[in-house]
Amino acid sequence: PNFSLRLSARWHTSFRPTGGREQGVAKVEEYTLPAYFDRRENPLPDVCYVQNLSPEQKSLKEKEIGSWAALSNEEKIALYRISFKQSFAEMNQGSSEWKSVVGGMMFLIGFTGLVVLWQRKYVYGPVPHTFDAEYKAKELQRTLDMRMNPVEGFASKWDYENKQWKK
Amino acid sequence: MAHPLQLGFQDAASPVMEELLHFHDHALMVVFLISTLVLYIILAMISTKLTNKFILDSQEIEIIWTVLPAVILILIALPSLRILYLMDEINDPHLTIKAVGHQWYWSYEYTDYEDLGFDTYMIPTQDLAPGQFRLLEADHRMVVPVESPLRVLVTAEDVLHSWAVPRLGVKMDAVPGRLNQTAFIMFRPGIFYGQCSEICGANHSFMPIVVEAVPLEHFETWSSLMLEGA
Repeated sequence: PNFSLRLSARWHTSFRPTGGREQGVAKVEEYTLPAYFDRRENPLPDVCYVQNLSPEQKSLKEKEIGSWAALSNEEKIALYRISFKQSFAEMNQGSSEWKSVVGGMMFLIGFTGLVVLWQRKYVYGPVPHTFDAEYKAKELQRTLDMRMNPVEGFASKWDYENKQWKK
Repeated sequence: MAHPLQLGFQDAASPVMEELLHFHDHALMVVFLISTLVLYIILAMISTKLTNKFILDSQEIEIIWTVLPAVILILIALPSLRILYLMDEINDPHLTIKAVGHQWYWSYEYTDYEDLGFDTYMIPTQDLAPGQFRLLEADHRMVVPVESPLRVLVTAEDVLHSWAVPRLGVKMDAVPGRLNQTAFIMFRPGIFYGQCSEICGANHSFMPIVVEAVPLEHFETWSSLMLEGA
């Protein structure tokens, strides 16, 4: 009895490949059934977009069985839209979403900057005295006197004869 | 010591460090090439208008991207192993110094000829003379003769420390109950700074190492002065 149900009742234009799952023991979940998708790299989805055809669409499908040269352009487009939701041009077009993403990102970065400024003013203590300008100048003089990194590093950029930075 | 905002290595003061600098340049170049290639491929894949993105079989490119990385890895491994063995060469040091890590100072012992030993503590920030480097200066320096092969035996008194001087390419863990040996030759005279490189407690960041390389006569003068002073 199961076989005859499958062979006789399923042969119509809105055939949905369910692999006989309706007659199984477990409940058939929506997500296990073949679904429609619009993807550029997979051009042929598993099912047609329109599953339940209106009477005009059904008659169009009958007409499709005949010669395709007899179809007008609108009919060809209507048949396309039965099978597919978006054309390639529609699915490939970009959106303006990037503007809100960039805007949100800049806002959050700015907010973080405000938090950092607040921290520097109200949370952190003073820097050590070694950061004073004149202390730093003495450190710099000592670094040059010690010929620190004379080959390619710091002291190599100082012209010892003319007492200035090398041009 | 590094200058502010320095990104690269400091100049080498020993032959091994010089080798390491060149090896680093070589490996970094390989890394840049690979990263550029990968970045280019990513950008190309994102911006392509093509729809066929799933290639299922291609023998030639599979061969290329298996063999080429193997070759690149060999080209990196050969200099690397060369330096590794260079660092462990048997040499004949003129001087052996023991560096012992404590919480939180280093002590150095020069016991080849006389018994010289001293502790070196970091100079606190408020006691710095103008121009000294914060957190790097110590009250005594490990003075060594320049252009002599040296051996340093590193150990610790209590917890793990690590004796590191970047310009010499030296980093050796100080393990309690164990003697680790490292050897180097100083090319040029000068003062070389390093910091303890293994977490050892509250003042781990405040126990620097200062090595001073001087000509041999000055070293002899210094060691006599230290012996008298002690």
